[in-house]
Amino acid sequence: MGAAVLSVQGLGVATTRTPLLADVSFTIDSGERVGLIGESGSGKSLTALAVMGLLSDGVRANGTVELAGHEGNLLERPEREMAKIRGSDMAMIFQEPMTALNPTMRVGAQVAEVMRIHGTEPSKAAAKSRAVELLDSVGLPDPANVARSYPHQLSGGQRQRIVAAIALANSPDLLICDEPTTALDVTVQALVLDLIVRQAQERDAALLFITHDLAVVATVCERVMVMYGGRIVEAGPVTEVFTDPRHHYTQGLLAASDLSMPDGSRRERRSLPTIAGSVPGAGHFPDGCVFRNRCEAATEACTEVPTWHDRGDGAGYACVHPLGADSSSGHGARDD
Amino acid sequence: MPACTRWAPIPHPGMGHAMTEPILKLTDVRREFRRPRTSLRTPPPVVRAVNGVNLEVAPGERLGIVGESGSGKSTLLRLLSGLDQPTSGQIEVQGRRVDGQSSRQLKWLRETMQLVFQDPMSSLDPRMRVRDIIAEPLVAAGMSAAGKREERVVTLLQSVGLPKDAIDRYPHQFSGGQRQRISVARALAPQPKILVADEPVSALDVSVRAQVLNLIDNVVEGFDLTLIFVSHDLSVVRHVCDRVAVMRRGEFVEVAPTEELFADPQHAYTKQLIAAIPTLSAALGGRTAAALADEVNQQAGGENRD
Repeated sequence: MGAAVLSVQGLGVATTRTPLLADVSFTIDSGERVGLIGESGSGKSLTALAVMGLLSDGVRANGTVELAGHEGNLLERPEREMAKIRGSDMAMIFQEPMTALNPTMRVGAQVAEVMRIHGTEPSKAAAKSRAVELLDSVGLPDPANVARSYPHQLSGGQRQRIVAAIALANSPDLLICDEPTTALDVTVQALVLDLIVRQAQERDAALLFITHDLAVVATVCERVMVMYGGRIVEAGPVTEVFTDPRHHYTQGLLAASDLSMPDGSRRERRSLPTIAGSVPGAGHFPDGCVFRNRCEAATEACTEVPTWHDRGDGAGYACVHPLGADSSSGHGARDD
Repeated sequence: MPACTRWAPIPHPGMGHAMTEPILKLTDVRREFRRPRTSLRTPPPVVRAVNGVNLEVAPGERLGIVGESGSGKSTLLRLLSGLDQPTSGQIEVQGRRVDGQSSRQLKWLRETMQLVFQDPMSSLDPRMRVRDIIAEPLVAAGMSAAGKREERVVTLLQSVGLPKDAIDRYPHQFSGGQRQRISVARALAPQPKILVADEPVSALDVSVRAQVLNLIDNVVEGFDLTLIFVSHDLSVVRHVCDRVAVMRRGEFVEVAPTEELFADPQHAYTKQLIAAIPTLSAALGGRTAAALADEVNQQAGGENRD
């Protein structure tokens, strides 16, 4: 594992009226795989878009986003310069491969295009042959033939491999995947996950992996950040966060997603644990702790934004009434 | 009969009528679609979306149908709910034929069998209030007194855990999970015997998924329904169903009681599907993406396809 590739400090995103993200801070080292989880509407994709500089008009970001090899804050860069960074030093794989690809263009040309735009290949012909190589490396059979087909002629899994080839074409330092396998069948999902991990490892790239599937995150990532209401509420190594969660939201997610008992047998019917209520709309989260209106442990003390408690090893949580706090060593166990 | 198949329903513990008539019976059901002609000299290619499916479902049973996209799950559902006609074969619901009937002749089926779809945003009319959405099947069934209908709608809302004041709101004013509750309430309105759920939780977050699964459990139990539950997610099917049919390329490759299927899958494709599910416990035990893909490839025996 190497130096920090992406460093996000105090990232906030807001429209003129509504705050959407607040105080999001994290770093990802080269070769590291970090997951970002949470329910829909918790701000995962928005974080990715803010980092990529792809926020729509009327939505503004503040804070700092730094990418290795580029001086200063990415958020302050003009779009012209961001366009140069996107697709070369950082790239993104989107959820729906059908909408991410141009339906009127042969897929080989779409892969070649990203190399021509960033000038990584000297000529059209070189880019074309490199595109075929890339299609081969993402595991597409008969790549020369695939390169000549249009997106609609390919299956969902094949399309997602094309999108991966485009994202990987210029060997980015940072690869962001936004729910890359949600639209795929389970067997195909397993293969695409393997592909993403392998390709990221080969390039020693930093990987930010967004999903709502906890099992997928545990399979792919080493570290995980749990997001809710536009804030990171808990972070740490996957094993630590998933086996010994401190935040009630993390625990709720874990309990709800596990359909089998710890010993692998089936859970009693009608007894699936749920998180009470549902995710409020943007701007309707409570002040103070964003989760307090759905949390059973919430008290008066939760009306103030909880401070970040460090558990060491890059792990931490933002909760006034953490779970299992007495077992932690000193600095985590703070109450009133 | 191959060793890995059990077409007949499992005798239900505590149901007391082990030898009852099946509520749903499919005999060698086929549905073929003709593709556009590719040449003038050859006949147009034929896609066998459902290819010789046999099935019996006992009253009160919960049957899961799993398979990947393109396996024919949805076509099969359309056939057994009378929305499409099979090319050949017989479909019987409560002993009455469904195939070969006009939609007018199938009015009884609309009351016996109801569907819940995957995406509540597209299956609920955005311009109708919840009151009208849930009452629509009642109107179709000929319940003309508005007061009576309203009473029934309120009871239904309560039974799916929605507040009374939801009645005057529009679908967009609800969250995904609540919208799925509205779909379930509408499906329950004509007092069906069979509930068909087509990927009802695929579009939902995990926490909401648990709520909707609990709700489905509750209504199936409380209203004494037979459940046909279609999903691509084996772990969800395992939680909900008594018996699982695994579908691939229009055929049932394996039908077995749920726990039997998971403990001892017979067909290679079932093994592959089970191997491909990422689980928290396995991942925390050190199963990486590469290991997961390896298992899938192994079970596939080299016939890998996207």
